[in-house]
Amino acid sequence: MSTIVEEIRQAYAAAGITLDQPSSFGTYYRLLCAGCGRVLGQVGDKLLPGMAAEIVDGQRDLYASGLLGCPCGHQRTHPGG
Amino acid sequence: MSEMDVILEAEERPRTGLWPFWRRAYAKGDPLPAFPAPASRAYRFDEGDPLPEEYKALLIRMLRHEGERAGNKSFLGLMASCLDIAETLFPTREAKVLKAEYLAEELKHAIMFHRLAMGLELDFALRDVPYAHYSFHLPRESWADDALFHFFVDLNGAFHARDWRESSYVPLAKMSATVERDELGHSEMGYHFLQRICESPRGKAVVQHLLGKWYPAALDMFGRSDSPNVPKFIGWGLKSVGNAEIRDAYKTYVDGKLLTLGLDLPDERANRKFL
Repeated sequence: MSTIVEEIRQAYAAAGITLDQPSSFGTYYRLLCAGCGRVLGQVGDKLLPGMAAEIVDGQRDLYASGLLGCPCGHQRTHPGG
Repeated sequence: MSEMDVILEAEERPRTGLWPFWRRAYAKGDPLPAFPAPASRAYRFDEGDPLPEEYKALLIRMLRHEGERAGNKSFLGLMASCLDIAETLFPTREAKVLKAEYLAEELKHAIMFHRLAMGLELDFALRDVPYAHYSFHLPRESWADDALFHFFVDLNGAFHARDWRESSYVPLAKMSATVERDELGHSEMGYHFLQRICESPRGKAVVQHLLGKWYPAALDMFGRSDSPNVPKFIGWGLKSVGNAEIRDAYKTYVDGKLLTLGLDLPDERANRKFL
């Protein structure tokens, strides 16, 4: 796993979201709800260093208010979400 | 009728009341800004002509960034991610059908650029070139994310295709009008989705928040204003405008559309990586 992919994995783990296996030719990865496994989106592996944590942190309010994240509510109640 | 004519003829017959989005946009007049004609028309190369080494290297470099080639598996990967998002995040059948039309049109471009690549360098036609710019890799976690992706990123393609109208490489100049109008239409699809999303205060709040992620990335896509390669591209007639000029024109266009949605414009220097 590349450094950037590991960064992305850690950043999303803090919000209650799991980085799945690469979904297409090793470039794009599914984002899954860590609570129920639902597909929440996609992310690519060419983000710049530090960008994943910056983005997830910037979306914290959206997860907390339920405007982003899984309908099951896992990210709302997740400590980092 | 050529195989490409069959594709083009089929897509001229709209099946949804909205597609193709470019039709309404161009019916109101030219939606894109005019760029100045190239200062020099000293060069003009067609398929099969011997190409100067630097010219060929710059042309391939430009086409690597463009990426829409049938032989580029990373492009197909991006398309697969689009399918996945439509399947899992799109709220209505209408939106999913529009996305299917979008995918079909991008795959048409993949055929067109494949033909161009085959006429340029056979090895390039099968080269896997992952999109290098981070804007193609930003997380899309909502319909709003995907709408912003199309509004901004496909519009970047339309602006570059507009610039190719005067390209010194004849095969690229010939296909530029089709690519430009299609990419403008894809951006309009994203904008249509944004209009729907912004109808609710909740949706508008999400879009406003996500602009902080997409707006700087969109402006960054045009590269550094002082890029040392730009004068070479312009000198060879592969581009007519510099990165700063095309970015400014793009910013004027997107700002107008965002203000029409009632959104606040982000600071143009905030979170930028390539000034």
